[in-house]
Amino acid sequence: MDVRKNIRLRVYIAFTGICLFGLAIIVKAAMIQTFEGKKLRTIPTSESHIRFDTLIAERGSIYSEDGVLLSTSIPVFDVYLDFSVIRDTALFNHNLDSLSDCLSSIFTDKSSDQYKKELIQAYNDEEDRYHVGKKLQFNQYDLLRNLPIFRKGKGFGGIIETSKSKRSLPSPYDKIGFCAVGSFRDSNKTGLESQYDKYLSGINGRRLSQKQNLNSQWRALEGTEIEPQNGKDIVTTIDLNLQNVAEDSLMSVMKKFDCIRGTCIVMEVKTGKIKALANLGLQKDGSYLEDYNYALYPTEPGSTFKLVTLLSLLNDRKINVNDTVDAEGGVIFFKGQAMKDSHLGLHKMPIWKAFAESSNAAFAKLANNNYGDKPRKFIDHMVKLGLNNTSGIDLPKELKPKLITPDSSGWNPTSLPWMATGYVMKISPMQTCMIYNAIANKGKMMKPYLLSSVKEYGRVIKTVEPTVLAENITESGAYDQIMKCLKAVVTNGTAHDIQSPYYTIAGKTGTAKVADKGITYNDKVYQGSFVGFIPAEEPKYTICVVLRTKPNSKNYYGSLIAAPVFRKVADKIFSLNMGGWDDPLDSLSKIKSNTIPAKLATGRAYEILLNGIQKHKAPTGDYMDVLMHLTTDSISKHIAMQPAKLYKNLVPDVSGMGLKDAVYMLESGGLRVQVVGKGKVQSQSIPPGAKIIKGQNIILQLS
Amino acid sequence: MSFVKKPLFLRIDGIIILLYVMLVTIGLLAVYSVEYRSTDPTFFMMNKSYMKQLIWFGYALIIGMLILMTDSKFFSSFAFLFYTAGLFILLITIFAGVQVKGSRSWLGIGSFRFQPAEVCKLFTALALSKYLSMPETNFKKLRSRLIAFVIIQLPVIFILAQKETGLALVYYCFILAMYREGLPNTILVIVFATVLLVLGTLLIEKTTIFFILTGLAFLIGIIIRDTLSKKISSWVVLVGCWLICIGFSQFAVPFAFKHVLQKHHIQRIYSMIGKEVPNEYDNTTATGDDKKENSSDYNVLQSKIAIGSGGFYGKGYLNGTSTKNQFVPEQSTDFIFCAIGEQFGFVGSFILVLLYISLLMRIVFVAERQRSSFSRIFAYCVASILFFHFAVNISMTIGLAPVIGITLPFLSYGGSSLVSFSILIFILIRLDADRQVLIR
Repeated sequence: MDVRKNIRLRVYIAFTGICLFGLAIIVKAAMIQTFEGKKLRTIPTSESHIRFDTLIAERGSIYSEDGVLLSTSIPVFDVYLDFSVIRDTALFNHNLDSLSDCLSSIFTDKSSDQYKKELIQAYNDEEDRYHVGKKLQFNQYDLLRNLPIFRKGKGFGGIIETSKSKRSLPSPYDKIGFCAVGSFRDSNKTGLESQYDKYLSGINGRRLSQKQNLNSQWRALEGTEIEPQNGKDIVTTIDLNLQNVAEDSLMSVMKKFDCIRGTCIVMEVKTGKIKALANLGLQKDGSYLEDYNYALYPTEPGSTFKLVTLLSLLNDRKINVNDTVDAEGGVIFFKGQAMKDSHLGLHKMPIWKAFAESSNAAFAKLANNNYGDKPRKFIDHMVKLGLNNTSGIDLPKELKPKLITPDSSGWNPTSLPWMATGYVMKISPMQTCMIYNAIANKGKMMKPYLLSSVKEYGRVIKTVEPTVLAENITESGAYDQIMKCLKAVVTNGTAHDIQSPYYTIAGKTGTAKVADKGITYNDKVYQGSFVGFIPAEEPKYTICVVLRTKPNSKNYYGSLIAAPVFRKVADKIFSLNMGGWDDPLDSLSKIKSNTIPAKLATGRAYEILLNGIQKHKAPTGDYMDVLMHLTTDSISKHIAMQPAKLYKNLVPDVSGMGLKDAVYMLESGGLRVQVVGKGKVQSQSIPPGAKIIKGQNIILQLS
Repeated sequence: MSFVKKPLFLRIDGIIILLYVMLVTIGLLAVYSVEYRSTDPTFFMMNKSYMKQLIWFGYALIIGMLILMTDSKFFSSFAFLFYTAGLFILLITIFAGVQVKGSRSWLGIGSFRFQPAEVCKLFTALALSKYLSMPETNFKKLRSRLIAFVIIQLPVIFILAQKETGLALVYYCFILAMYREGLPNTILVIVFATVLLVLGTLLIEKTTIFFILTGLAFLIGIIIRDTLSKKISSWVVLVGCWLICIGFSQFAVPFAFKHVLQKHHIQRIYSMIGKEVPNEYDNTTATGDDKKENSSDYNVLQSKIAIGSGGFYGKGYLNGTSTKNQFVPEQSTDFIFCAIGEQFGFVGSFILVLLYISLLMRIVFVAERQRSSFSRIFAYCVASILFFHFAVNISMTIGLAPVIGITLPFLSYGGSSLVSFSILIFILIRLDADRQVLIR
């Protein structure tokens, strides 16, 4: 009996034990899921041994339309040494001298002895983060990691690097077009970098990392990666050549006349593409920097706005430009306020003449006579031109123009005549440019834009098409009359100084007193501007130049300060279309005599050039795509073209040629060709016309 | 018709089979839920664990069929042979094993890999049952007890040599079966007391444990005051026990931690029980975050977060974020319980525990109805193994026990584990089917 009882007891104990354990588990599970659960659920992932690693997507680059990098990401390296892993004393001592020598020669900031001392100190202290260098370029980092000891790698050589990506404009075009391209820093995102961040930034990937146990390293969990999608490249409409010339021209004129700010916009007439957007501002130290996008900053435009007045009057068929207007000597009073011309003495004249001479009195009078009783009609014309809104250019933070209407609190009886001459309301240079461009485009108003296309891995995935804002802003007959006025400005008006013998210009000068933040009309700060397009017959580019003078400057007329910038840029555009004429166009006039500088261009380019300067037309023939050389017959004064290969001692211009032809041409002349890229020749490292030194290397950049 | 004459199919214990299939199915679903990705093109992905597990289940069923077709006497007859062969394989594994996570306990034949220690439990259970059921064995004698102990200890030694401590500990669960067969109560008491003392010393503060132990000694003294007043020797025993316990907890452990064990040993021990290393043993200079990261037990914390996030009803099947993202390491093997806890909450966990306890109860019930002691002891062995695995595994996922890396029977992913547990169950069913026959 005892045995049975004993056994039964034991079985019961076993049963109870199992049940108790089960109970314990259930109780504990309940505790975890109820009381502890709340706390556990709040534990952030950082405290647990799991984390998300961000896989940074590579940011796309920004290119100019001609394929030059404007902004890209380049890696920079911070390098440290972990001496706690360099424990081989013999190895360390053996390499100490050469290591300090190398470090000293790489960084040149400390002597070899100093480095040696520091290294020994760090070695003895087993320092785990000895600082070698910060923000090193890749080539420096590459040198470092191949030094003795270091080349053994992370585990034994102790070298630790962290790489960061630095957004940098590659030299030599540092800061070019900065306001358009913009910057990309955490604190400051501007320009296209900000506008098209969605394309450029890509999508960061992520990955789970985990500590398998207490002391182990973070280890990426396989299969948890979400690969980053690298950013796409964007191609801007900016043409680097034009951008350079716009900035250079702006800079030289601004320096000459002590201007405090200036902007130059080059817009392609047919499309509205911004080919150049230069902005310069005077810095405290006297230098000029692209510090603000003045092209988008609304100001009182001044006389360039008379185009809008003229357009409104013509569209409403109130006037004909051949009608006579009396400027009454250049001073007319409106409600007791005098509207003055800058050059007094004008009386009766045709309206086109009043426009060309930029008579404020005449235009204020015309506006007052025709819209004085219903100013709203005039405002409606401005609204039709989109002047009540931003230009819509693809740049962030464009400021709205300030238009006043008869409903505005600031409206008074003098508002209309003053508005007709470009005061009272504020519009940005970009909008002025847009209106002139619309005229150049025979009435079709295009939206200005900067993004030409989006590329992914070199493939175009999106092309931006031009946007038409208004099909026709001119009524029938208005266009021709306006053109007459705009041409007259240059031929016998305020801007006759910038006339070019080679091409025609149509445009308008503007000079306005500035009242802006911290500036009143009494400070005598002026805004000089010139807006126009070339060539006047078949306009290709609209150029808008707006400068602001320092207070009390003697030189402030738009015709004096802004028109020269226009001319320089226009010259460059013209010569670029002429096949790469680098010298001032004026030098062409010297062709009259015997020789011109050795220039090589394709026959087609010369033909355009010769047509442009109305010189003797070269004999036709199969020379259109062949490199030619211009010579002038000293007796007959005829210009002749000869195939360039006759001039073997000079470097030919091979830009635009296929690689095969270019290589043949250059190597037969004795040069050695090196090639970068694919496609057609974009640029060459030795300029055309230079003397060939046999065996010299020439690098061709293909596009 | 008498029981013996019924066809074999009708003599099989349906309840055990039912519980077994239920548990394996739950296991498959759990492993699937861990690996499930909404982006998976198809269910049938051979590289996924759940498919492998499904195939292993297939193998287990085939082996089970074979076992059911085998004569029940086969198992007792060949028990010692199996045992010897098992020991031999364990020995080979020490030298020829594949290194996995620091232990050398896996044996690879081609692409096929298995863990002999997992399978050898079966052989040890058979051998122990055989030995204890032999007529010449008298378990009341010390010699028999020692032999039985040696049968358990031999594989333990080999497995320890493979550095698979957790699996080695499993073998001590046979003490439960031996207790049923007449092991004195004192042994059970001593074993439990030792375990409690060790855990107590590590878990509870030094001064507190001193007072607890002393208080306990007084309590026992008051309870057995009659005996104490009669016998001097009982005084000696009581005071002796108290002294040993105090000495162990107050001096031996601190001494070992301070002077014998290495830093990482100490950390390991404390991380196993899910506690931070006390300052007195922690002479590292690490401060702040480093220290925090090093000293909190990652696995258990993650596991608790997973289970805790399940709440009462759970997040729903295939919605377990912690488990799906594999925040918990060894998610589909040792920590599969988290997947249940997170997705089905307390209700699911409760039902799972209930299923296990039902299975254990059923096995104990089945054990008691055996005519032959071999079958009975074997059934107890099976129950012990299952109980130990189940109890320790779930305890370690919820922070009740140190993490020693043993699987949850039928649920954890792993061929060796599933097949060996299935074999245990099927042999038990086969023996039970012949419960009227005397097997020697």
